[in-house]
Parts: sequence; structure tokens; C-alpha cells
Amino acid sequence: MTQEADQNIALRTDGLWFAYREQDWVLKDVSLSIPLGKVTIIMGPSGTGKTTLLKVLAGILRPLRGRVEVLNQTVEKQAQRSLSTLIGYIPQQLGLVRNLTAMENVLMGALGRCGHGKVLLGVFPRREIEHAKAALDLMGIGHKSDEKVIHLSGGERQRVAIARTLLQRPRVVLADEFVSDLDMALALEILGRIRRAAQQEQITFVLSMHRVGLVRESAEHVLTLSHGKVIPGFPAQGVQGAPGVELPQ
Amino acid sequence: MKTNLLVTASVALLLGVVLSQLGFFDGARLMRGLRNLGILTSDMVPPDIGVLPVTGKALWETVQMSFAGTLLGFLASLPLSVLGTRHLFSPIVSGAARFVAAAIRTIPVLLWAIIFVILVGLGPLAGTLGIAAYTVGYLAKIYADLFEGTDPEILEAVGSTGASKLHLVRFVFLPEGANAILTQVLFMLEYNIRASSILGFVGAGGLGFVMQVYLQTLEYRRLATVLLLILVVVLTMDGLSAWLRKRFLLTAQS
Repeated sequence: MTQEADQNIALRTDGLWFAYREQDWVLKDVSLSIPLGKVTIIMGPSGTGKTTLLKVLAGILRPLRGRVEVLNQTVEKQAQRSLSTLIGYIPQQLGLVRNLTAMENVLMGALGRCGHGKVLLGVFPRREIEHAKAALDLMGIGHKSDEKVIHLSGGERQRVAIARTLLQRPRVVLADEFVSDLDMALALEILGRIRRAAQQEQITFVLSMHRVGLVRESAEHVLTLSHGKVIPGFPAQGVQGAPGVELPQ
Repeated sequence: MKTNLLVTASVALLLGVVLSQLGFFDGARLMRGLRNLGILTSDMVPPDIGVLPVTGKALWETVQMSFAGTLLGFLASLPLSVLGTRHLFSPIVSGAARFVAAAIRTIPVLLWAIIFVILVGLGPLAGTLGIAAYTVGYLAKIYADLFEGTDPEILEAVGSTGASKLHLVRFVFLPEGANAILTQVLFMLEYNIRASSILGFVGAGGLGFVMQVYLQTLEYRRLATVLLLILVVVLTMDGLSAWLRKRFLLTAQS
């Protein structure tokens, strides 16, 4: 691959294999390239290994074979703290701490840059607080910053999770099915905010999704995961034939 | 179905044998016990409230011992429970921390009180340290299990921000477990108030000494006053716990 082409690739995998149990492969020889600064959607029915793939890409799970490169750096060789400047991860259930406020959850995005002194007492640098406010405002939820997460609606929680990842300032954000539980209009609004954030903050977003309608509306680049393998674009047999895939309304 | 019947019949048979060996089928003895209960109860009423100044002072000492012992034990249990959390530390470190907690818990609170009476002498200091020691063993185990039950998605999400182990403890384990942490420490305080009322039996301060004197001198009306006082404190603690839970615990409706 040419150097110019390399510069336009945010994330690349080369022959990834992963299994939770011996020989029961969830990922089989997955090789893919994610373009820089765009919203890429990995789609596929439930149970095809989308979550596992994202966890391997995020460095949470180690591949049994193959490797993951983010901006030409090998993920497996990075310590968690330096990896946090490259990759942000939003799990399916968002991973928010319910007993803390939206602002406190967003500020956790800055933990990789913070020490242990005042931060452990809950006192963050003023600069980080201002950035956290800006991230909440960008997600349209600045007015709820002092509310505990448990009191927020599903859509509001999604925005808090994105704001936390924006404060982390990674180059690539991996988000797992995180708008799947929302109605179409709200999911599209949040995906629109993601696209704006991608342009504004120069971030590459990789989202896993199984709702075809949403994929058609929001993706700039689509990959399909089927039986542990990745195929570029929509499923070859058409979305109608893909088991477990929701059809567009 | 057949297996269920077999298991039920086996358990019933085992229970029958055990109860028989413990003397539960000795009708004459049980009847004698009932008669004695009547005599004891009549000897206890009306309670002698003339001893209130003496018992009140001892009760206050018991409450102080329970409060200080629970708080000290709670504070010491937090680092031990974090060390015992397998998500954070290697099996050797977490195993060692859990072993220490189990070893502390193995010794009953009364025995801890005796050990501290030997170490620091008679009085409430020994009782307080005994309560603190038992509390550490109990809460460290409960909290380590609690921390290990934290939703792994939260740990993955916050861990991917580059958070350290200390950050995870402060911003994930403690706030996520806040409900159970508060509930367990309040339970421990209630337990310690009941437990500490007998520590005076071994010279570790509080109501126990007064109770022992009244028992030995057969002054059951005075003993009744002590038991009523303990009941009042336990009920007050129940009310206080309920209020604290309502005030601070996390609910979606609050």
C-alpha cells in the first residue's frame, strides 16, 4: 500500500482471529481498513461478533492471531494510558456511572491526562471542566450537566457517553450498538451530532449497528460482519436475506 | 419429580435425626423449660428503673464503642477490599488480601475482645478494637465481592480513558457500589451494637459488665431494664438506618 493511502487510513487489521473457547472462532481472518475522519458502520445481525470485533479493535481483548494498527501504531504494544489518546470506546450499555452526574461522567474522559492529587477528591483542573461543558453543549445536553445519570433518559445518556469520549480526545471512537435502543428520529439526531463532532474534532467514528434504516441514513462507509468475516458494503445477498437484520421502515 | 421427592424425604429424615439428638423430642424437658420461662418472666417485671443512671452510662459507652469500632473497621476494610478485588490485582495479591479478611473473620467478636483485653487491658478501648477487627474481616469480604460484581462495561469504558486503578476505585467502584456500601455499614453498626452489649462479660467495657453483675446476683428486674434499653437503641438504629437509606440511597424515582 502506498504511503499516501496509509495516511488516509485510521485503523487497519491484518488477519485477526479470536475465540473465547478453543477453536470456536468468533472472528476468522478479519482484515479491514477504516478511512480517516469518516463515520464507518460495521453492520451485521446480532451474534455475528460485532462486539467482539470492536473490543479487539479497542485493545480490550487481545487477538489470538493477527494485529490491529491505529494510525500506524500497533494496538497490542500500547499501554492503556497511551492507547487512550488513540482510541475511545463506548460499550453497548454506555458504561456510565449511574450515581454520578452527567458532568462527573464526562470529566472521566480526562482521567488519562490527570494525576491523583486533587482529582481523587473530585476536583478537576478548570481547563478540563470548561472542555467538559463544551462537549456537553456540543451534544445539546449542557443544561443537564448536574443531573445524576440515573435520572437521565436513554437519549440523554447516549449524549453523555459521547461527550465523555470527546473529552478524552481520541483519534478513533469505537461505539458498540449504542443507538440501538432509541427510536429512529432520536437515533438519527444523535448520529447527526456524531457526524458533526467527527468533522469538528477530526475524529474517526466506527459504529456497530444492526438497524439497516439507520445504516443507510448515517454511514459514510459500511462494512458487514457475517459469520466472523468482514465483507465491504452491505451483505452480498441483500439485507432482506440477512438473518436478524431489521428492515428499514 | 422422583428425585425431588427423594431429596425432600432425605432432608426431612436428616432434620428429624438432628432435632432428636439435640433434645427437641424430650417433651418433659421442654415443658419444664416453659414453666421456667414463666417464672423468669414474672421475676423480670416490672423492670427496676432505679438503675437507669448506672445502666444509661454503660449504654452510652456501648454505643460509643460500636460507633467508633464500626467506623474504624469500615475505613480499614476499604483498602483491604480493593486489594482483594481480582479485577484490579493479581491472583497472589487479591488471594492474600482475601485470606487476611477470612482469617480476621474466623475469630468471633467476643474472642477479639478477649485478645485486646490481653493486649491493651480492661475497658472500652479493648472492646472498640475488637469490634473494629471483626468489622474489617466482614466488610472487606463483602466489599471485595461487591467491587468484583461491578458492570464490566463501565470498567471497559472508563478503563479505555486511561484511568488508573486508583481512578477506577474512586470514580467507578465507590460510586457504583455506594448503595450496598452504605447498607452494609449500617447493618454492621446495628450488629455491633447488639454484639458489643455482651463484650463487658470479658471486661471489654459497656453494658455487658452491668448485665453480668445483675445475672450473677439474680436481679432480674434490673436485667429487664438493661434489655429494654438495648431494645430502644436497636429500634432507634433501625429508624436511623431507614432514614439514611431513604435520604442517600440511589433510586430512579428519587
